[in-house]
Amino acid sequence: MTVRPTQPPSIVRRTLSGIALLPGIVWLAMFFIVPLAMMFVVSLGSRGPADSLILDRPSLDNYARALDPVFLPTFWNSIRYSVATTLLCLVIGYPIAYWISRHGGRNKTLLLIIVMLPFWTSYLIRTYAWMTILSDYGVVNSILEALGLTSEPIILLNTDFSVILGMTYGFLPFAILPLYVSIDRLDPALVPAARDLYASGRAAFLHVTLPLTMPGIIAASILTFIPALGDFVTPDLLGGPESTTIAKIIQELFLQGRDWPYGAALGFLVMVVTLGGTLLALGPLRREVAGT
Amino acid sequence: MNERHDGSSIDLEKQLVRYMIQRRLTRRDMLELIGKVGAAAALAPVIAACTSAAGSAAPTNAPTAGQTAGQSPAAAASASASAAASGAPAATPVPQPESELRIYNWTEYLSEDAIPSFKEMINATYGVDINVKTDYFGNLDEAYAKIGNDGGGFDVTFPTGVDVPALLAKGAIVELNKSLIPNIGNLGAEWSDPGYDPGNAHSVPYMWWTTGIAYDRDRIDENLTSSTSLWDPRFAKHIGMLDDWQEVFGMTLIQLGINANTTDTAEIDQAYNRLAEQRPLVRVWDTNTRRMMTSGDVWIGQIWGADLYRIQKRVKKARYYIPEEGGVKGSDTMVVLSGSEHPVAANLFINHMLDAHVAAENTNYIYYMGPNAAAKEFILPEILEDPTLNPDQELVARLQELLDLGPAVRDEYLKRWHQLGR
Amino acid sequence: MTGRNRWLSAYATIVYLFLFAPIIILIIFSFNSSEFSFGWEGFTLDWYPVLFSNDALIDAVSVTMRLALVTVIGSTIIGTLLGLALARLRFRGKGATETLLLLPMVTPEIIMGLSLLIFFFTLFGGRGSFGQLTLAHITFCISYVAIIVRARAVSMDPHLEEAARDLGASAVGAFRFVTLPLIAPAVWAGALLAFALSFDDYVVTTFNAGVGSSTLPLFIYGKIRFGITPEINAISTIIVAVTAVVILVAWRVGSFREDADVHVVAEEEPAT
Repeated sequence: MTVRPTQPPSIVRRTLSGIALLPGIVWLAMFFIVPLAMMFVVSLGSRGPADSLILDRPSLDNYARALDPVFLPTFWNSIRYSVATTLLCLVIGYPIAYWISRHGGRNKTLLLIIVMLPFWTSYLIRTYAWMTILSDYGVVNSILEALGLTSEPIILLNTDFSVILGMTYGFLPFAILPLYVSIDRLDPALVPAARDLYASGRAAFLHVTLPLTMPGIIAASILTFIPALGDFVTPDLLGGPESTTIAKIIQELFLQGRDWPYGAALGFLVMVVTLGGTLLALGPLRREVAGT
Repeated sequence: MNERHDGSSIDLEKQLVRYMIQRRLTRRDMLELIGKVGAAAALAPVIAACTSAAGSAAPTNAPTAGQTAGQSPAAAASASASAAASGAPAATPVPQPESELRIYNWTEYLSEDAIPSFKEMINATYGVDINVKTDYFGNLDEAYAKIGNDGGGFDVTFPTGVDVPALLAKGAIVELNKSLIPNIGNLGAEWSDPGYDPGNAHSVPYMWWTTGIAYDRDRIDENLTSSTSLWDPRFAKHIGMLDDWQEVFGMTLIQLGINANTTDTAEIDQAYNRLAEQRPLVRVWDTNTRRMMTSGDVWIGQIWGADLYRIQKRVKKARYYIPEEGGVKGSDTMVVLSGSEHPVAANLFINHMLDAHVAAENTNYIYYMGPNAAAKEFILPEILEDPTLNPDQELVARLQELLDLGPAVRDEYLKRWHQLGR
Repeated sequence: MTGRNRWLSAYATIVYLFLFAPIIILIIFSFNSSEFSFGWEGFTLDWYPVLFSNDALIDAVSVTMRLALVTVIGSTIIGTLLGLALARLRFRGKGATETLLLLPMVTPEIIMGLSLLIFFFTLFGGRGSFGQLTLAHITFCISYVAIIVRARAVSMDPHLEEAARDLGASAVGAFRFVTLPLIAPAVWAGALLAFALSFDDYVVTTFNAGVGSSTLPLFIYGKIRFGITPEINAISTIIVAVTAVVILVAWRVGSFREDADVHVVAEEEPAT
């Protein structure tokens, strides 16, 4: 149950709130929308000789080309990796966010910063470290063999498993942070109150804690699912031949194909689908998300 | 009046006009400059005569005896200027390097001494304290996107030979100023007229390599000779390929007896079908060949030959071979970008890289073979004797070069590359 | 209750181990005597002095740090304001603004990077620079901060601010002493995330860096072709170590310690 904010009556407050909105909207309009619009214009153009750009004959041809079913398997890869990653991040992240909030005490912020610490190293080296851990003669396989559980290396790297593991690892903080922020908001007295009213531990969680932390869960889902959809490097490094994602294809069209209009068209198409899907999923959750 | 003392004639006007264009001078600027240069030129013989002993000795510290080991254009010019000190007409204006040079390159692709020695040389020869900035790219295609049609603000970059025609067509690179690059004579004969850039008009090769196959003799106890070994089901899930569509298709086409640069879609389809057969057996596509071959996951992989040396440091029994069906050679080159604001420095830099000592240093540092014949006497013997790093000329002559196939054909290849799941 | 606490604490330990597993490997390999950062060969301390004399690497780190700092400041301020406004206000075009917030996250990095390249080049003749990078980085970080702040602000009772005003506080004062402390954790969280995003960014940075503004990721990726040496592990280790020390010092000094009592009073929700 979220609180409905009152509409501020005074003109002064309205102006102040307008001021709050203005920097963000102006900034995004200038440095995001305008460049994106320019790229949209590119998507309507075509590639000329010497990989040049022809913009004077706009058409939607590239979009028609981009609706090619050959992209479906890679698009599906992106979706299934992101969904798996988001679910795992939520499931793994929620308890730890809860623990930091409830049992961190005075060191809550410190514990949170420690969560972020690994991500102030280079992404590439971290991923190479995972390769070292998962490789046929890496840490995991060595331990398994030492314990006598296996006689031959298990192939862990360059599989769906390693991709999802790597992505979950990479996006865990994206989930933990918003979850923590929301869980920390909870009045610690609420759960004991529910128990007093004869609710079981499980019921208290399901009917009190979970609904109240819904904004955090939704924020965590958005902050995990959407960037995960665009992550092409992790599947590229940790995956095998069947792990290619649509983000990588888009990248290739721009860089190797040197066909910016085509790449832009495919990119916009994927964006529309992703955005549409997200808004659709968020629709019924409007109240939790926006508070209105 | 336009003849140099040693008899070679130069067209002063042409040089001046080119100089104007490169430096983006207006006519007015040029007149001012001529005034200054004229004054300097009048004094030049006098100054040169005074300093000729010190000046012309410094740049040429390599063994002399007529060898062009370490010549710089300034030495040549000041030598002729001092020789003309006895009242001959005005010497040619020696282009001064600008005060900055911007390089766009792989990280640490030059020896540690390359840039410091360049700065020293410029200081000693021209008295200019040049500021050299290097910026990095991790992927050639990204670099090309970044430099766009005019160089992206950089002066010198290192594209692969294959891509030079495309860059030229885009207008991103300019013709080299050979008068500033006398060291070009150091290049081996086989590199003075590459297919992708006749006469080295726009580029100079930097390092070259062959593409072939490496395997761990410990895990695969056989003498392999064919590229079909990369399709061997016994090595399933332990096969690695380069993450480069042109290399992968190239090797496959050659295996099928087709030219690696074919434009025939039927033939490309053949290659695609062959690669589709291989796909379930491939463990990974990666250009980081060292990681690929040393982790133990991959037993046999397609690599660039020069990487073997480093791989062998970990995988003692690693072997490399060029497929009996045929192989591919490639090279990195140095080019001057069209939007460069420091063309003189850029050309001088390229010249410096061609210096026998500098080139040898670079090779000894990166462990790739250079195209510099004069450098050979300074290259580490272990590199020269390594048949993988330095295969004999006969073999090299038989290798194919990958060429720029143009957008339409490229699209055909890439379409199938995507279908392979890449 | 204690039983559950123990399980939860054990779970937390495992998660932290998971988070640090690759970091431990990374640190170990910074002492690798092989020139690879994988495949253990032997112990050596040599890579550390090497890196200190590597001016290019130090420069790259400096650029990256400065960039991340400026990005955090810019995106946190703008993102917080945006998140607050979205949580508290009803206004026309609210839906559109929310979509606007999601757009940068939905955009493939290559498109964002190249569109900014086109933008700056076409309109300003810009060829990449530190300033351009700052603008680019702030742009893609705003959404993350805004979404986190919004999630927190949404469950904050707006009456608290009104109550403060009723008790004589000015609008700014109410904001400073009531609203801000309540959303502070979200602002911190957003800042932490923004720092990590900017620090590690590669694609957008590649196309917006200019001469002399190469960041650490560009430096590192540029080494892939010829081998990433343990030097890179060493610099990462140092960064983590320095950050850890700074955090520890700040913690000792007491900046992080939350005064539990005051917190509870402020958080108490009136009966709804």
